Amino acid sequence: MGYPTVPWESMTMTDWSMILSISLIQNMFYATLMASILCGIIGTYVVIKRIVFVSGGIAHATFGGVGFAYYVQSVLLVSWFDPMIGAMVFAVGAALIIGSPRVNQRLRDDSTIGVLWVVGMALGVLFINLTDHSVVQVRSYESILFGNVLLVSTQDLQIMAIMIVVILAVVAFLYRDLQIVTFDEAHARITGINVTLMNTLLYVLVAITCVFVMNIVGIVLVIALLTMPAALASMFSNDMRKIMGLAIVSATILSLLGLVLAIEFDIPPGASIVLTLGVFFMISMGIKTLHEKGYIS
Amino acid sequence: MEKLPIEIRNLKAGYGQTVVLEDVSMDLEHNDFLAIIGPNGGGKTTLLKLILGIIKPMEGSIKIFGKDVEDGLRHIGYVPQKGNFDNRFPITVYDVVLMGTRNTKGLRPVYGPESHEKVKEAMETVSITDLAKKTLADLSGGQLQRALLARALAGEPDILLLDEPTASLDPQMKDCIYDSLKRINKDVSILIVTHDIGVVSSQVKRIACLNRRIIVHDEPLITPDMMNLGYHCPVELLAHGIPHRTLGEHDHD
Repeated sequence: MGYPTVPWESMTMTDWSMILSISLIQNMFYATLMASILCGIIGTYVVIKRIVFVSGGIAHATFGGVGFAYYVQSVLLVSWFDPMIGAMVFAVGAALIIGSPRVNQRLRDDSTIGVLWVVGMALGVLFINLTDHSVVQVRSYESILFGNVLLVSTQDLQIMAIMIVVILAVVAFLYRDLQIVTFDEAHARITGINVTLMNTLLYVLVAITCVFVMNIVGIVLVIALLTMPAALASMFSNDMRKIMGLAIVSATILSLLGLVLAIEFDIPPGASIVLTLGVFFMISMGIKTLHEKGYIS
Repeated sequence: MEKLPIEIRNLKAGYGQTVVLEDVSMDLEHNDFLAIIGPNGGGKTTLLKLILGIIKPMEGSIKIFGKDVEDGLRHIGYVPQKGNFDNRFPITVYDVVLMGTRNTKGLRPVYGPESHEKVKEAMETVSITDLAKKTLADLSGGQLQRALLARALAGEPDILLLDEPTASLDPQMKDCIYDSLKRINKDVSILIVTHDIGVVSSQVKRIACLNRRIIVHDEPLITPDMMNLGYHCPVELLAHGIPHRTLGEHDHD
């Protein structure tokens, strides 16, 4: 009777050329790259406009959508209504509610977000519980919450590429007006900008980003990719466009590094990506502090 | 007859059930320089919000050059309190001033050569040309205040509204701001809202006191009535900073 083989004993070095030839792994890298681009751009607005909590609320509301999609699939047997579509419906719905002036007149905006956050999560749990698991194969909670890049299909990638082009076009087209609304809503109103519409549009862009990114790093960790690269970049630049660029570059490098580490050490990719970002975030903070105090130039 | 820049009649306004302003009537005349003073919570900010169309009146009317607020807004340049801004916001002074030239309605305004010309002019008027490339984080309070003033001017307004333009500035900077305003006043009607009673009365043409109701005086005089309405407190303290003014005898109750 021999001992069971432990993976790290049978492999002295990770065979990267073999790993990279697997199409699932390739998809995983492309997905991470695209998520980084999305988060670099939209995350810059999230960080600068201080709406991290909005993105958190929207991201968590998508859980309800995922559960809803499974439930609809199992009851109505409509396979096209996949979790991504359910998530999109709930995320955009949450964005529209948060942006609605009628809601804002009656509730403080962070209360609205809190309600959507927990109700979304609870609906997700309820729907998944009601779903007939013999009809529909339901992803595990862990996979939904913390992501599973291995589940990214080529079709997902194609849709995501189209969304990136659309979002880039919208942001480029409305760059100045978004800047005005983000900086000074009162002034925006006077100069004829529909502030409610612009804010809602921004929330919808956040929602779309959340849905695509959650597919990779999961719901809980969407906030990490939206927040950390842009916050990191804003430490080193005072120019919005440079912050976006820097956020894209740092998100790409660090999340790919996180992915490589995940494969190398066989740890969950979502957690690995976020922790890589977190470690670099803290290192940058440290360097910046030392620089400001004059210890290093 | 030419329409007045701002004409407010029997205005009543507030939030929910709370009435903040009652029976407020006032005019801003051509080339006027009117300061509205009053205590905190007296409704100064509410009045500005009403003129800017951010909130709607419960009763009464506001006309800007004879038009409703929505249509009249393009005549207005607004200089908000500088304290409302996130000074880490990543934007250059130039881009802040450029915002002021966006007065075309439409999905996406184009900032052509004439916009950039207006930006340069406005920055010269308040002497901040050398700050164009600085970001907000690099500015002092006075510089930020002048950048916001330049932004309002870049839109070539007929009316300028200023919210506490000299709050927490040193005296020299206050004079500097008022010098700019006096120059601008040749073409533009100015309405400022302020606590700064000391500076105000020596610089403006007319004063109004707002504390739920309004008293307007056609000279830059703070009258005992205003003090009663606004402050219910010993006038000597407040009159101290106002040179060459005498306040009449009056009761404090």
